[in-house]
Amino acid sequence: MNDTPTRVWLTRTILVGLIVLSLQMTIATEIRPFGVVIQVVLAFTVAAGAASGPGEGAKAGFVLGLMYDLATGLPLGSTAISMAFGGYVAGWGRQYRLEPTWWMLAALAAIGAAVGEVLVPVVRILTGETGVFEPRIALILPVVALSSGLLSPFFIPIARWALVIRPTEIRVADADT
Amino acid sequence: MATYSPGRRRVIFALTLTSLFLLTLDIRGNQVLDGARSGFGFIFRPINRAGEVVTTPVVRLWRSYREFDDLEEENRQLRAEIDAQRSAEISAQNAIIENQDLLALAGLESLASYGSVTGRLVGQSPSNFDQQVEIDRGALHGIRVGMAAINEAGLVGKVTSVAPQSSIIMLVTDPSYAVPVKILASNDAADASATMTATSVASSDVEAAATDDVSAISGTESDGSESTTTTTTTVVEIIRETGVLRGQGSDRLPRVSFIASGTGFGQIEVGDTVFTAGGSTSLAPPNIPLGRVLNVITRAGTAGQELEIEPTADLSRLQFVRVVLYQPASEVGQ
Repeated sequence: MNDTPTRVWLTRTILVGLIVLSLQMTIATEIRPFGVVIQVVLAFTVAAGAASGPGEGAKAGFVLGLMYDLATGLPLGSTAISMAFGGYVAGWGRQYRLEPTWWMLAALAAIGAAVGEVLVPVVRILTGETGVFEPRIALILPVVALSSGLLSPFFIPIARWALVIRPTEIRVADADT
Repeated sequence: MATYSPGRRRVIFALTLTSLFLLTLDIRGNQVLDGARSGFGFIFRPINRAGEVVTTPVVRLWRSYREFDDLEEENRQLRAEIDAQRSAEISAQNAIIENQDLLALAGLESLASYGSVTGRLVGQSPSNFDQQVEIDRGALHGIRVGMAAINEAGLVGKVTSVAPQSSIIMLVTDPSYAVPVKILASNDAADASATMTATSVASSDVEAAATDDVSAISGTESDGSESTTTTTTTVVEIIRETGVLRGQGSDRLPRVSFIASGTGFGQIEVGDTVFTAGGSTSLAPPNIPLGRVLNVITRAGTAGQELEIEPTADLSRLQFVRVVLYQPASEVGQ
């Protein structure tokens, strides 16, 4: 991604983001395990982070978060912060293992998703909202984290394509840094 | 093995700052960002529609798996309820017409005075922390931000965002939702109040007073030797308290706080009904039913009472929503 022109990965991320956002707004709002909305966009973000590293995960999270805010009418930037951090955390763990197995990537995605989701009410509180930290968050976090981990094997190849990351490039890039 | 790079730290720092900058601009109101939101909505709408078409079979399959037994049981109960309510409906319709005639005669506003736009639900909030729905009617149909949304059962929420062809409605359960309300006596309590008033006026005519729905009570006494007729008009005041209703989140009931203390009005009881209070600054017109008092919470000191309200509208199964085209006097002309 580092050598790839910004417009290439940005265009691809936006295109994939529109589809993922559409899934978020349709199927994810209807199929709610335990009453919790699965965060498909966040799952894609953390998959991108786990696949490519913290910087790329944060950038993808920022772009997808802005799209999420634009589509849902939330204050612009509120979801972008939480998703950028989610992608960053998922990618942060990635750098300690050159060739992580699929379940390691899934675990990283789950951790990143939990961080991203818990930051949503935190950012809302910063914007002056009250009562957003519900006790139900104890249920929301594990469901969102688990679903993101389970979705990561499907999203990681797509994220690699969107961010123009090849497995060989990851190894070389990681070794260089 | 890779090591932590300061460059990555700069990236997340820059992105956080950018997000905070955008957040500040958007919260303070920015036409450029509003335009970007409208433009994105325009581009995203057909993609979202395509997503709906593609995912509908999966959603239907899931619903049929999850809801079939519940729907069957609910269907049985509803049939029984419909039978029980048929007779009540006829008398209720008559009462509504009479009420509207009386309001019109007295020059008072009622919900029927305002126009409305009915919209179909086309989306729900994709977040776990918002209680919002989207309808397929927007600014082109006369909807403005702040207007009240209702259904047949009562108040549903208010419009928080309007696009030309769609609107976002914040539900009454959302923690950011607040509306001034008034708490009225339940039917039983009102009847009891009417009976007590009649007893103090004409003790021989209790039965007549108890069956009289109108507040004007006429009593006639006769002891055989002389006959005295007393006519007294008594207004039975059933408005007890006003307060502010706030949403508490999806898994908790809305609460009414800031209840104006008035011991002369009597105690608030479980089952009392809650309506919007209206007023020159309230975004919702008066007298929209909202729910019933489910729990009265007495707090120590000067905190006063809080009431847990069970909304009459089933917010989990909304299909259509009616937006009342009402703007308070303070906003008309703005």
